[in-house]
Amino acid sequence: MPPRRIGDADSDSDVSILDDFDGVGRGKGKGKGKAIDRRVKDKGKGKAKEQPYAWEAAYTRSWDTVQEDEAGSLQGAVQELIARGRRRRLLAPASAIRRTIIRHLILVIDLSSSMMDRDMRPTRFDLMLQYAREFIIEWFDQNPLGQIGIVGMRSGLGERIGEMTGNPQEVLKAISERHKLEPGGEPSLQNAIDMARSSMSHLPVHSSREITIIFGSLTTCDPGNIHDTLEDCIKDRIRISIVALAAEMKICRDLCDKTGGQFGVALNEGHFKDLLFELIPPPVARALARTGGAPANPAADLMIMGFPTRLPDTSPPGLCVCHSKLKSEGFLCPRCRAKVCDVPTDCDICGLMIVSSPHLARSYHHLFPVKAYQAVISLEDTPNPAPSCHGCSTAFREAAPAMANTSDGMSPLGRYRCPDCHNDFCTDCDVFVHDVVHCCPGCGK
Amino acid sequence: MDKASHLSVVIDLSPTQWHLCSQSSNPHPLPLQLFLSQLLAFFNSHIACKDENSLAVFGAFPGKSILLYSSTTIAAEEHSVNADANTYRPFKILDSTIMDSIRDQLEALELLEAEAPIGLVGAITKSLCYINRLTIPSSSTTRAGEQAVPLDPRILIFSVSPDQSSSYIPIMNSIFSAQKLKVTIDVCKIYGSDSVFLQQAAHLTGGSYLHLDRPDALLQYLTMSFLPPPGIRQLLSVPTQDKIDFRAACFCHKRIVDIGFVCSVCLSIFCNPVPVCSTCRTKFPIKTLQRLNASRPLPMSNATATSSVPRSPAVQDALRNGTPTQNNGSK
Ligand SMILES: [Zn+2]
Ligand SMILES: [Zn+2]
Ligand SMILES: [Zn+2]
Ligand SMILES: [Zn+2]
Ligand SMILES: [Zn+2]
Ligand SMILES: [Zn+2]
Repeated sequence: MPPRRIGDADSDSDVSILDDFDGVGRGKGKGKGKAIDRRVKDKGKGKAKEQPYAWEAAYTRSWDTVQEDEAGSLQGAVQELIARGRRRRLLAPASAIRRTIIRHLILVIDLSSSMMDRDMRPTRFDLMLQYAREFIIEWFDQNPLGQIGIVGMRSGLGERIGEMTGNPQEVLKAISERHKLEPGGEPSLQNAIDMARSSMSHLPVHSSREITIIFGSLTTCDPGNIHDTLEDCIKDRIRISIVALAAEMKICRDLCDKTGGQFGVALNEGHFKDLLFELIPPPVARALARTGGAPANPAADLMIMGFPTRLPDTSPPGLCVCHSKLKSEGFLCPRCRAKVCDVPTDCDICGLMIVSSPHLARSYHHLFPVKAYQAVISLEDTPNPAPSCHGCSTAFREAAPAMANTSDGMSPLGRYRCPDCHNDFCTDCDVFVHDVVHCCPGCGK
Repeated sequence: MDKASHLSVVIDLSPTQWHLCSQSSNPHPLPLQLFLSQLLAFFNSHIACKDENSLAVFGAFPGKSILLYSSTTIAAEEHSVNADANTYRPFKILDSTIMDSIRDQLEALELLEAEAPIGLVGAITKSLCYINRLTIPSSSTTRAGEQAVPLDPRILIFSVSPDQSSSYIPIMNSIFSAQKLKVTIDVCKIYGSDSVFLQQAAHLTGGSYLHLDRPDALLQYLTMSFLPPPGIRQLLSVPTQDKIDFRAACFCHKRIVDIGFVCSVCLSIFCNPVPVCSTCRTKFPIKTLQRLNASRPLPMSNATATSSVPRSPAVQDALRNGTPTQNNGSK
């Protein structure tokens, strides 16, 4: 079948100015300059929106957007940031939500010539590699039982860059050699998705299958009908999310919407990172809830797991069952006492799945979040207000400052009270307890 | 030792356990009085090592936890300590502050309260909050030119109580936040059996876990192993743990298990195959339950199952997770 080009003729908003341009094709960046010309003409329209285009914002940097107050202090701006975080937490549901925790992800990276665009500094390609690295580290931190594989889109083909693995170092190594990933040619969404799909076909039912695509191009060069591929993905319960760097394409939007994924177009460098990092927390098991009518959830299962004992490197050496190597350190299977080199793994002798319990425990804060603290507005109804923060013992200020910053959700006294143990905490501890510790020092649970 | 180092100490002050520890039937009894006097000597030497070294002491009492002493907040203010020509004044302040607050707390304890579970989690999370405030240049610190951030913060836990399995999740959460803050957690187990959770805490944060063979020689252990900051300890051979137990506590009975049944949606751990996950309300397929019930591991004693009988290959296959090859249990 001859390669077929799918443009973005039916997409919306500002992309419409690029429609005819796609028909022209982008030869050696000649078309690109033209595109920018058109966008410049269209500048007024772009300005009307909240965010400027990335190339317009070349000289705005974060320090410009932070405003000093009359006293020349940055405190107001910083407090506003904290307040925003607090409001977001108050909106989040306090009860345990069901999330998919054993995740399998194929990260598809665009290696087509459009990635050499310099609209993001230094280039889209370098920025993507940098963010992909940070993404992988953070992803494994939050999904320690997950696995990531990497597929590239280059010269109309899907290229397997990294096999699916649970070891972050191996994934990072796969994208560490920049010269092997040099962009070129056209991307092919269909080829890449098919390759990703085939490498996830063997997975057990209770794990999630996800594809995350970083897409810089405005075209895709496919051998067949990409809508068939989309149908296959829906059938296989694969969730596709796309972060586009150029503009919205109808087919990308469809891929995400119909598979339950997220779609976003990056406006600038920071927004690109935000969009990518939004995909890190385990997705709420939405698709599962829909099957409520069925007697049992097909994707849920009870698994038997063993928690091993770790031997130190001073213990008497023995043969490991996985490589038959003589070594001192290792883990003992709790059921058959066989020695394995690394966890998580399946015991080669008795087949028990061996995980270290900290691996599981890393995800528990998603299940039991700390209730949001309430901002204390006045101390009138508190008989004996605590003089200092219950967490870090910093003294509270006595009264609200004269020019009180009364943005909503913030306490003028700098006090935040736990609804369960009724202890007061300072702003720093409020943020720290909810974002890092996930455990209230007053309640102790 | 060129950098200042911060030490947060968490002391488990359970009256019951300390009473047991001081019994003369023990091979090497250590009464609380003696423990505290050795501990104060250790604190003094930490302060004396370097002028900028800071110290915070948290006490875990039954049902609560309290900051007993902090070198940053108590800047030699009110305490009208009698001048003593033979004692360095900061030592005197430290000693009397800690002793006074421990005495006050223990005297205030009601008889019934003394049996409440120890507030160890609260003390650990408070010490993390404290370190967090030291590490971030906070907006609330008014004094300009606050001294440079103390590097190498670490937490030293003195434990005498057994593990409370209800604190499994909060302790694990504290361990992960310590990792994020790059805090080392050291554990000194003075009395009682090994603590599975604190072993994991020391292992995961790169600290050491020390079970004292001779609790009466505490000061020796302290100065040799816990006085040098982590940076220097890499050059010394500090005793390491021999075995680390990675067991977890089940969510249903808070029992410590080595083989558990795990919900694939939320990763809750159960000691028995259950039809519905109590955390996320997921129903499990009946087929799985039958398979797992048929292949139940031998009734687990609460100690580690030291040996278990090898099973036939067919059963082993059925046990293999995620591959419902055959269900020899059903029908
Ligand atoms: Zn091996
Ligand atoms: Zn085994
Ligand atoms: Zn605080
Ligand atoms: Zn609380
Ligand atoms: Zn149980
Ligand atoms: Zn569950």
